[in-house]
Amino acid sequence: MIEVVLNDRLGKKVRVKCNDDDTIGDLKKLVAAQTGTRADKIRIQKWYTIYKDHITLKDCEIHDGMGLELYYN
Amino acid sequence: MANRTDPAAKSIRGTNPQNLVEKILRSKIYQNTYWKEQCFGLTAETLVDKAMELDHLGGTYGGNRKPTPFMCLVMKMLQIQPEKEIVIEFIKNEDYKYVRVLGAFYLRLTGTDVDVYRYLEPLYNDYRKLRRKLADGQFTLTHVDEVIDELLTKDYSCDIALPRVKRRWNLESLGSLEPRRSALEEDFEEEEEKEDNDQPADELEEDYYRGRSPTRERERDRRRDSHRHRDRDYDRDYDRDYDRDYERERGRGRDRDRDRDRDRDRERDRDRYRLREEKDYGREREGRERDRRDRDRDRGRRRSRSRSRSRSKDRKDYDGGDYRKRHARSSASPRRHGDGHEDDEPKKKKEKKEKKEKKDDGTDHPDPEIAEANKLRAALGLKPLKV
Repeated sequence: MIEVVLNDRLGKKVRVKCNDDDTIGDLKKLVAAQTGTRADKIRIQKWYTIYKDHITLKDCEIHDGMGLELYYN
Repeated sequence: MANRTDPAAKSIRGTNPQNLVEKILRSKIYQNTYWKEQCFGLTAETLVDKAMELDHLGGTYGGNRKPTPFMCLVMKMLQIQPEKEIVIEFIKNEDYKYVRVLGAFYLRLTGTDVDVYRYLEPLYNDYRKLRRKLADGQFTLTHVDEVIDELLTKDYSCDIALPRVKRRWNLESLGSLEPRRSALEEDFEEEEEKEDNDQPADELEEDYYRGRSPTRERERDRRRDSHRHRDRDYDRDYDRDYDRDYERERGRGRDRDRDRDRDRDRERDRDRYRLREEKDYGREREGRERDRRDRDRDRGRRRSRSRSRSRSKDRKDYDGGDYRKRHARSSASPRRHGDGHEDDEPKKKKEKKEKKEKKDDGTDHPDPEIAEANKLRAALGLKPLKV
């Protein structure tokens, strides 16, 4: 189980517990449940890399405690 | 300049009509090449030409959420605000299905509740295929009536949040609308009479859709199966010649529904019995397991609970009605009442294992944070956290 931090730099900072074999799409659903936006409106980035929905966190090399950027579509 | 709403346009729901589309999507549309090239300086007439060229509908697609031409045209309509007659012409035309859907979408966004139901419901009879672009860029098949259903029942479509409309039965009870009559009414009545004679009606009709008045829901489930002659029904709808058929339908409908209800309830009770037995068996077994664990760990807090459970543990195979009813643990089914548990042992063990796994799936974790996280994950359809 890993815990990722998502920050949108406008006031929303969210810590989400997830497995490392969850996909980005699952992570978006968890974030949506916590923040209240819709899951398909969320975009997760790291610098200019936009993460695609069907890749697992492990393949994206997202580790425990890592900070991700939260953007909106 | 190009993005400003027509100053003569009236505000929709208290705001600039373009604000119906939210900010991020609006900026994406303004930056889109289709918008800049093709939608510049469009009027109502030229908009029709552009709409006729449409070949798919959809919201945004791709990694950076590019809007479809359909979206751009919706935005354009919001900007120029064509009159209601024009929009209704869009909807009524039969030749171009995408023009129809475009008009329907615009009306859903801007029209009043009564208008929405009045003009969109006839479109339920249109079974033509449509091409829809999904968020990952692929196309999928859908139909006009499915799209209309989405517009009328869901509150999100094509990446636009649809404004709220009142439920149909609210409007019916207010008297602003008449109860829904499917255009394929008479054909169904004949079919149902035949069916009732042949076999008992035993469909378990689930209410998948919110906001449906009961008669409408039942008709909808049948409608998918038959493709009937449409032209005559269209004229009937538009002429709104309800009175003659209204009384007949109501009288016959009631008897029909009563028979169906009775059969349906009988089926449902049978299933419910069976399900309840299985569930209760697992829970009873597992309750004893948990009781043992809890007692070791947390005596103080859970004393009252374990006490009640130990009472159940002492009485091994209690069938006492009163106690059982209070705690709703074991099954009240006559089938398992006096049976020896011997022949059900292997089945129970398997159920117990399934039940245990299911519980471990979610909320059974000692750490309350993780338990709650697991509960959320189960609600979303994800596997539990690997601690």
